[in-house]
Amino acid sequence: MKPKEIDREQLKAIIDRHRGKTWALIPLLQEIQETIGYIPPESIETVAEALNLFPSQVQGVITFYAGFSLEPKGKYVVRVCRGTACHVKGGRSILRLMRKELGLDEGETDPEYRFTLETVACLGACFLAPTMMVNRNYYGKLNPNKVTSVLAQYRKKKGES
Amino acid sequence: MEDITLTINGKNISCPSGTSILEAAKQKGIKIPTLCYHPDLEPFGACRLCLVEDEKTGRLMASCVTPVAPNMTILTDSPTIKTHRTNIIRLMLANHPESCIVCSQGNRCELRQIAADLGVGETDLYPMPHYTGLEAANPFIVRDLSKCILCGKCIRADHELVVAGAIDYNLRGFKSRPATLYDMPLERSVCTFCGTCLSMCPTGALSLKNEQYVGSPQNESKTICGFCGVGCSIVMGSVDGRVVEVNPSHEQETVNGSTLCVRGHFAHDFLNTKDRLTQPMMSHNGELTPVSWDEALDIAAKQLVDIKKKYGPQSVAFIGSSKCTNEENYLFQKIARVLFETNNVDNGGYMSGRAVLNRVEKRMDGGYRINPLSNIDKAEAIVLLGADPGHSVPVMSYYVKRASRKGTPLIVVDPKKTEMVPFSSVWLNLIPQSDSQLINGLAAMLWKKNSFDAAFIDRFTEGFDVYCEGLKGLNIETVCRDTGLTMGAMEKTADLLAGKKIAFVCGNGILKQRYGIHSMNALLNLLLMTGSPGSERGGLYIPARENNQVGAWDMGAVPDALPGRRDLGIESERKDWERAWQAKISPDRGLDVIRMIEEAEKGSLKALYIMGENPLRSLPRPERVRKSLERLDFLVVQDILLSETCKIANVVLPGAAFCEKAGSFTNMEGKIQPFEPVVAPLGEAKADWEILDLLAGKMGSTQHYGSLEKVKTEIARFIPMYRDLDGHEGPGWVGNKGDRRLFNPDGEGTLIPFTPVVSIEHKDINDEYPFTAILGSQRFHLGSGTRTGQSDRIRDYGVKGEIELSLEDGARLNVQDGDSVRVESEHGFIEREIKLEKGLSEGFIFIPVAFNANDAMNLIGLTRLGGPDSPGWQGCQVKIMKL
Ligand code: SF4
Ligand code: SF4
Ligand code: SF4
Ligand code: FES
Ligand code: FES
Repeated sequence: MKPKEIDREQLKAIIDRHRGKTWALIPLLQEIQETIGYIPPESIETVAEALNLFPSQVQGVITFYAGFSLEPKGKYVVRVCRGTACHVKGGRSILRLMRKELGLDEGETDPEYRFTLETVACLGACFLAPTMMVNRNYYGKLNPNKVTSVLAQYRKKKGES
Repeated sequence: MEDITLTINGKNISCPSGTSILEAAKQKGIKIPTLCYHPDLEPFGACRLCLVEDEKTGRLMASCVTPVAPNMTILTDSPTIKTHRTNIIRLMLANHPESCIVCSQGNRCELRQIAADLGVGETDLYPMPHYTGLEAANPFIVRDLSKCILCGKCIRADHELVVAGAIDYNLRGFKSRPATLYDMPLERSVCTFCGTCLSMCPTGALSLKNEQYVGSPQNESKTICGFCGVGCSIVMGSVDGRVVEVNPSHEQETVNGSTLCVRGHFAHDFLNTKDRLTQPMMSHNGELTPVSWDEALDIAAKQLVDIKKKYGPQSVAFIGSSKCTNEENYLFQKIARVLFETNNVDNGGYMSGRAVLNRVEKRMDGGYRINPLSNIDKAEAIVLLGADPGHSVPVMSYYVKRASRKGTPLIVVDPKKTEMVPFSSVWLNLIPQSDSQLINGLAAMLWKKNSFDAAFIDRFTEGFDVYCEGLKGLNIETVCRDTGLTMGAMEKTADLLAGKKIAFVCGNGILKQRYGIHSMNALLNLLLMTGSPGSERGGLYIPARENNQVGAWDMGAVPDALPGRRDLGIESERKDWERAWQAKISPDRGLDVIRMIEEAEKGSLKALYIMGENPLRSLPRPERVRKSLERLDFLVVQDILLSETCKIANVVLPGAAFCEKAGSFTNMEGKIQPFEPVVAPLGEAKADWEILDLLAGKMGSTQHYGSLEKVKTEIARFIPMYRDLDGHEGPGWVGNKGDRRLFNPDGEGTLIPFTPVVSIEHKDINDEYPFTAILGSQRFHLGSGTRTGQSDRIRDYGVKGEIELSLEDGARLNVQDGDSVRVESEHGFIEREIKLEKGLSEGFIFIPVAFNANDAMNLIGLTRLGGPDSPGWQGCQVKIMKL
């Protein structure tokens, strides 16, 4: 897989804006995560230097929060719930369908960085089981049809942009 | 603040508010088990083992993080507590591999001890150990993180004490582990292998890599590290008379607290090398062959005495040791002065820039030269001048980094981007040798801001007005040009320093450079002007490379001063010692190390007695030194290792390493630290003071000491700075006890002179040798590497002392990391691999010393450091060729 192209200038600008503000580590990381889609590992040292922290500390914070990722992810991150309630309501087959539709295994991203497939322990919306999320949007009471139509919607979006 | 009263296990306790329950209990001798608590670290509250119960409320709390509150009734051992504690331990053990039997931590594992105390055997829980690979590629520390209980001590030690930042938690929950950046092995991280984390780990997760011995040592005893001048307090563990491990002594009030550096922690394995000397030897037809002590001492004494009789006192010289004890250096110079009537006595401290330090001694009349390292913490600003303490005196660098993390402004003056630069507020990467211009420039800028300590200047100094005239005449733009620095950087520095008391740390970059004397004069002027000496918030710090560099000088192992740093040239000072020794002392200044080599070369020096130094490795131009020493009629070398110098000696006397004898060292803070032997000398070797005592007898001395105590008593009697050396309350500090200390808060003294501002025109550009080489040390080796080079661990680590080159020059010369080059100066050449470094400016290369038998010494000239014609030993002009 070819490495994801990232906008170095943009990354640098984000880091520079937080320079010297040791307390701003989390907002800084959030901004990188949101703008770039992940936190490029090679930026850890630059971030640490700007904030006067040790690189190992910055890495510790990144790996502590599930919201941060050191690997590039797709534009759309699909998280299928694997919790008990969803399991009972057929979450497994949703996951299976998703794998087939996207052609990805859990944790994988397609070469064009469009989709990433992940699973989570519980999305906290058990009353809607089976559930999944795409980026920040929840989708509940899933069935195969609904899954394909949700996906189609995102695929289309991609086409537009 | 009000004291708080509470009861713990029924005992009434009162303690200041803010004390934790754990500490309060400890003061009363009540023991609470802990795993993540350490008195030197910030409380963390991770393991929950220190749970206690408040009887009134039934509340459970972690005692290490809970402060005392009024009227608490604490129980530390109630049945509830016991149940909880047992459960915690069971959970930890369930998560732990079942390899206690083979674990090197053995009986010292705190987890196992606590489990045993609580009677936890089988955990009855489903075991779910978390297997991670064993990491043991480096020769120092083995990491088996499956045994990690996440107490966080290693991480806190790494961040709070040594401020390295090599490790931090990685990942969450079950997978969480202390990890390096990118989860690399330690050797591929910024870890310095100080081993501080290793000594703190309560389990076998971090353990000492020891090829020769596995398990706990039979004996443990305290001593002082014998490598650098920090003088760390250590505990050495031994088995069958061999030292197998070293840990910080973990006592209060030591210079190092819970920290050490890679040398102190690991390089002691040189003690067991096969090159240790175990019996006296004499040279027969160029071969060293073992002889008896009697024979060796008889010959040594007779030859030296005969040569003196035949050629006079000037024909014999003595090199004492900045690594030997105070007592030994005292006896050594006494032999020279009393029995041989010569002041031809010096020590390895010469190589650490004594000529420049002599300026401090003379100008300040012996005052202000030493400060406790703990004062770094109180400094208002810190300036590192040509000093890279992370490599030379690592424990000092921890002080500096801690201060910087706390917010103390740190200015790094160094042509190289040292490890201290990331901690600095400003990095002044000046052109080498332009330090005096920079210092004068800064002084002028401060003066313009009206930033000087008028009260101090008025009371303790003279000549400020003349100095100010000089400052007035300085053009800062010229200073910028000479130093290669920008006006912005200069201004920022002056702003940071204005109105502050400053701690100046002055390293080899000044002490061994061409204009060292000028730079030191400029520095002392700035020091005085800011009123920094005499205040705990500032002062002068000289990193001492060798463990007893300060003491050897104090004891008079120098050609121009008598013990107690008394000036040989002053008659009354001589008279004092003549009375003490009941002998006549020659008023003639003796030869220093370099002059000894020169005189031997000319044939006028006939005999040399060297104790614990290896000039064939530590001096420039080793071949010239060898030829010169080979011309001697007689050479005695007393050492612990079969050094290069031993190999050309007529008589070799086996001495004892620091941990094999008793005595005292004086560290760079001026703290006199006595110690007792940990193990016995190897084979027939003897403590050096004993050898000297025996030898003096054979040379005709009527005074036989017979015990170290007697030597100490004599020193204490005649050297006021050391008056408590034989006392029982601990000998204390040189600085506080000296009768010549100029400044005391209400004291008077001779006024300290300012010196005029001197501008230096420095031209070094030479077309034939276009590069400027900077020589410097690396933390893995001490001095010339005679001892550390014999450490298997240090050797196995495989640092090769690559020559560092800037990226630009690398591109121009078409070389890459790992390529070999030939570096040539007008004196000689060396060949080594190179490493491209971002932190170097074009035109500069950095050459680590002590590698390859210290071959870097081939590049510089054998000149007298600090002499008017000496280009210094800190660097030279070179050309580079790709091989
Ligand atoms: S490695 Fe040792 S010191 Fe570090 S967290 Fe684990 S158990 Fe504690
Ligand atoms: S050995 Fe020293 S530098 Fe390395 S991780 Fe441990 S504490 Fe940090
Ligand atoms: S070499 Fe120096 S800093 Fe390192 S442990 Fe020994 S005395 Fe301490
Ligand atoms: S189990 Fe799926 S949302 Fe809770
Ligand atoms: S010692 Fe108190 S929580 Fe670990």
